[in-house]
Amino acid sequence: MSRRTAIERVVFALFAAFMLSVPWSVPAVVSNFWVSIITEILIWSLFAASVNLLLGYVGLLSFGQALYFGFGMYGVGIGIDLLHLGFWPVFALGIVAAMAMALVSGIFAVRLTWHYFAIITVVFSLIFYFLAVRLKPLTGGDDGINFSMPPTFTIGGHVFSFTDATFQYFFILVTVALCFYLMHRVIRSPLGKAFLAIRDNDVRASLIGINVYLVRLTAFVMAGFLAGVAGALFAFFGRYASATYMFYQVSGEGVVWAIVGGAGTLFGPIIGTTLFIIIREVVSTHWEHHSLIVGVVAILVVILAPNGVVGVWRDLLDRLDKREAAPAEPQQPRTAAS
Amino acid sequence: MTDTLLLLALNGLIWGLIIALIALGLSVIFGLLDVINIAHGDFFMVGTVVAWFTLEATGNFWIGFIVAPLVGFLLGAIIQRLVIQPVRGAAALTIVATFGLSLILQESVRIVFGPTPRRILPPINSTVQIFGIDYDVYRIFAALVSMAALIGFFLFLQHTKIGTWMRAVRHDRDTAIAMGIPAQRVYIFTFGIGFALAAFGGAVAAPIATVDFRGGVDILPVCFMAVIIGGLGNLPGTAAAAILLSFFEGVIQSVADPTVARIASLVLMSAVLLLRPQGLFGGHVR
Repeated sequence: MSRRTAIERVVFALFAAFMLSVPWSVPAVVSNFWVSIITEILIWSLFAASVNLLLGYVGLLSFGQALYFGFGMYGVGIGIDLLHLGFWPVFALGIVAAMAMALVSGIFAVRLTWHYFAIITVVFSLIFYFLAVRLKPLTGGDDGINFSMPPTFTIGGHVFSFTDATFQYFFILVTVALCFYLMHRVIRSPLGKAFLAIRDNDVRASLIGINVYLVRLTAFVMAGFLAGVAGALFAFFGRYASATYMFYQVSGEGVVWAIVGGAGTLFGPIIGTTLFIIIREVVSTHWEHHSLIVGVVAILVVILAPNGVVGVWRDLLDRLDKREAAPAEPQQPRTAAS
Repeated sequence: MTDTLLLLALNGLIWGLIIALIALGLSVIFGLLDVINIAHGDFFMVGTVVAWFTLEATGNFWIGFIVAPLVGFLLGAIIQRLVIQPVRGAAALTIVATFGLSLILQESVRIVFGPTPRRILPPINSTVQIFGIDYDVYRIFAALVSMAALIGFFLFLQHTKIGTWMRAVRHDRDTAIAMGIPAQRVYIFTFGIGFALAAFGGAVAAPIATVDFRGGVDILPVCFMAVIIGGLGNLPGTAAAAILLSFFEGVIQSVADPTVARIASLVLMSAVLLLRPQGLFGGHVR
């Protein structure tokens, strides 16, 4: 095992241990408030991951992921408020609604690439944003709909529900972790290789027999799934659903988080999202003009580190590898990092 | 009924001419620098704010027509050099950079101008009878000024050295550089012009719209629509599409509310994107 893999494993283990200890360690060191911030970061990371799946792995820049986030949210909100369904049915409703919407819009959208794709995705999301604003009886418009949480499940008379902050945290942590694991598996599967082939050269990919249209559509629906889960979780977390989360600026934030963290890497979106939400939370308590800092950071990162924060981290590890390899075998060129 | 229809159509036409000016700036920046400029709506907003401050400082509204595009041009040139140049060529990065820019512009304006929207009273305070309704003369004046600026810009592109350089760099950058055209300076100039056009549109629209640090947020999608429907990089197409779109929304608004009109034009835009991605008016496919 090289030093590089060792470092990566230790970092991952520390990260996992921290995430599992959050409900106890964070209130002890800072406050309960930060537990809910970390929960929010988890949800938005999943949203950024849906942008990343398309941009970083398939080479499609979607500027409309907020649409599927919004459908996940409204699936939950309308399911509870108007249809009076339970926890699991509304969770499923949100995810299915988001995926169905992604399928329908994807059928049209993935025929286009690059600028055109970015623009058609934002157009679709705007259409439904304005519809949601207009259909006030159903969606509550900009004000949104508030609802109270149904219990998640009952085991032996004990009711588990999101009103218990610790349960809420772990439910969201497990769901988000599962989604990231799923994404990791997909990327390493033959389908994931097809994604990369299309990202790097779609003409060549189609010449070796990959159905570019179908693979892009599959990726688009998967991204819709991730955004839908994030939206449903956010609705559970905030106990409300609102059209404002379908506006294009929300999609834009997802794109920024994914790219600043490092597009095309599994953990990039988590890091980008964490960075920006922490800046927002820390600075906004002291200074109301925190967006100024967010803007400056976004610009500095793309200028100084075009591959994002994860890109910087990898460069550091590469340099470490080089230093490690240099004294041992000075005359041999550096082989691929094992 | 027909009167309201004609009136809303006229309103649409006038807005369309102002939007055409702003969208032209977006189209120039996109066509030449390949930058998807998320901050373009805020360039417009900066124009309205500069117009407001000029009026406050001098008591003369018309000076804003000169100050706003000048400030826009200078800011644009500086921004191109500092922010756009380092990320040029990577469309995804330009989106993040201009998104950051958009936040910085909005927040800076919120600091110096304040969070409350304000209004500028029309500097020409008279009305004319159109379709039996008293119509603001300033609106008609704004439309004429926008039209003059549009024509002026096209003449500038066709008949000046810098305009020719801009067209040459857009057409074939490498050949243009080989011919001795200072591409770097053309980029700076183009971004400045793009900002100036939007800021000028802002100054012209300031008495019609509200002056607000979030005033660009609603303008941005409309400008993108005009650029797409007109055909990416097709400048006359962009101007025509902006006028057509606003006119179309104006007509629909006479039978339904503005949100429905916006949805209708978005659906129209999706159809154009899918059926004629090169835009309604031909234009080259990039």
